[in-house]
Amino acid sequence: MTSSGDVVVHLDQITKRFGDVVAVDDLDMEIMAGEFVTFLGPSGCGKSTTLRIVGGFERPDAGRVIVAGEDVTAQPPNKRNVNMVFQDYALFPHMTVAGNIAFGLELKGKSRSEIDRRLVELLTLLELETLGKRTPDQLSGGQRQRVALARALAPDPQLLLLDEPLAALDAKLRAQVQLELKDIQRRTGKTFFFVTHDQDEALTMSDRIVVMNEGRVEQCGTPEELYHHPASRFVAEFIGETNLITGKVSAVDGEHITLDWQGATIHALSEQSPPIGQTVTAAIRPERIVLSAERQAKEGALQGQIVKRVFKGSRTVLDIDVGNGTVLRAVVTDGAFGQVDPKQVWLSWEPDRLTLLRD
Amino acid sequence: MSGRTRVLMSVIYWAFVVYLFVPLMLMVLMGFKDSKFIGFPIRGYTMEWYLGVFQSAEVINVFIYSMTIAIASTALSLVIGTWTALLLGPHRFFGRAVVFALTCLPAVIPGIISAISLRIYARLLEIEPGMLAIILGHTVHNVPFVALVVMARLSTLPKSQLEAARDLGADEAVTFLRITLPYLKPALIGASVFCLLLSFDDFVRSFFLGSYEPTMPVLIFAKLRSGMSPEINAIATVALVLTAVLGLWAERWNRRITP
Repeated sequence: MTSSGDVVVHLDQITKRFGDVVAVDDLDMEIMAGEFVTFLGPSGCGKSTTLRIVGGFERPDAGRVIVAGEDVTAQPPNKRNVNMVFQDYALFPHMTVAGNIAFGLELKGKSRSEIDRRLVELLTLLELETLGKRTPDQLSGGQRQRVALARALAPDPQLLLLDEPLAALDAKLRAQVQLELKDIQRRTGKTFFFVTHDQDEALTMSDRIVVMNEGRVEQCGTPEELYHHPASRFVAEFIGETNLITGKVSAVDGEHITLDWQGATIHALSEQSPPIGQTVTAAIRPERIVLSAERQAKEGALQGQIVKRVFKGSRTVLDIDVGNGTVLRAVVTDGAFGQVDPKQVWLSWEPDRLTLLRD
Repeated sequence: MSGRTRVLMSVIYWAFVVYLFVPLMLMVLMGFKDSKFIGFPIRGYTMEWYLGVFQSAEVINVFIYSMTIAIASTALSLVIGTWTALLLGPHRFFGRAVVFALTCLPAVIPGIISAISLRIYARLLEIEPGMLAIILGHTVHNVPFVALVVMARLSTLPKSQLEAARDLGADEAVTFLRITLPYLKPALIGASVFCLLLSFDDFVRSFFLGSYEPTMPVLIFAKLRSGMSPEINAIATVALVLTAVLGLWAERWNRRITP
């Protein structure tokens, strides 16, 4: 049995091609025991292929899959101690809920009493107690999703693979199931390898997010790291809303970078020190922009006029023209901007809110 | 569709239905005629002919003989047809079109040609005319129907079902037995009823491949040659009712094949 802190899966320089298309390009990744890791990316980025390689449904062209210290690259799915929740759930229509959940246990050669005990445990965990005798076509979408989860958890796998299991649910139910899923993961202590194209899902549930694009890892980190410090333009744009600012480096002082952008001076923080004169792109989240009626004492403030205002209840989204047709988006959560003159507002932000991107 | 067109089309349809069923009705009716000769007028009715069918050792033996052949050839056809369907399955391989064409061929070859060639072939293999030869002949004819029905069903089986079974620890054999086969069940039931009917109904192959022991259609044919009598009507009616019931029941299953 693996304990927390151990490496459950090591993807050792995996490459997978389909014809001329490189689906997964030299991917190297470790997943720790008890972790909820989400592979996030647009369709065709290689996230599902990676999942299927771990499950044993695809063979990598190069590299090794190591599960709990054992090289399973050449092993078929039925020999791997890894289970999967399929996107369409793939419940067996001719078996009851209990039959579906017991399937993996029967094949493991468990005794009837052991199977029954585990069934009760799982049906209780997933609140399916009264549904054991139903067949899949008598269940709602959310119930089917839970049965699929119970079935995959039943053989007590070292790793659970989840291939967009919430995509078939409606938006309201999805938000609820996200929290339930995270809760189940925490209670069972299982390692979850989750795949989705939905950034909201990824941010809500994950301990760690791996953003993939064109078969490569763009960035890997906690949801907070990815959101506040996206490493690349792709990540900044894929996760949440963002304003991109492209300017020239005019001064570098340790971490403090000064940018020259459309005649204004802007401050940013960065660990990388780009050469002076280089054109760089920086990102700032809309809710990090501070609006004021008067110019703040700080340097690096911009003046603009509000061109669009959308009230969203708890927050208000403002589009602000800062000259030369450049529009920055800001989000404010209180009515403070009500006092500002829409024709003349000042924008500012803390230097560490502006993140320099790798292109 | 306008009201008048609808009425006109309904009338034509019902005229067709009458045309279709009058011969069958006549056949059933004549079986009740209290006379040795078929035709109008019917002066008296009797149950004698129908009771005779169930009392005649000859008819019962021929029925058992026909059913044995039908069941055996159906069982063989199911195995070979399913096998072929799995082979053709979802995979693409070189020569798939050729295998597919070869699979369908026996279903479209005219019965008489197929019967003669099978007769020659059976002699070549030194298979005596009789039950075994008929069973093998019917099997050749039935396999394409099984293969096509099973293929249609198989193409709707989501790949994830098989992957889920593999994922939960099943090897290929267990996956086939516990997932694929139950999924194919409605197709297999539909196909087997169809095969039973095809075999039971077959005249040409049974005639050419049979020995002196006749199957049901061959018996009716033989009796016809010695003159039309209400006895034949009664035999034919019993066969008609049995096959119609079986056929309609199978149709119910067939409809489940395409979800």
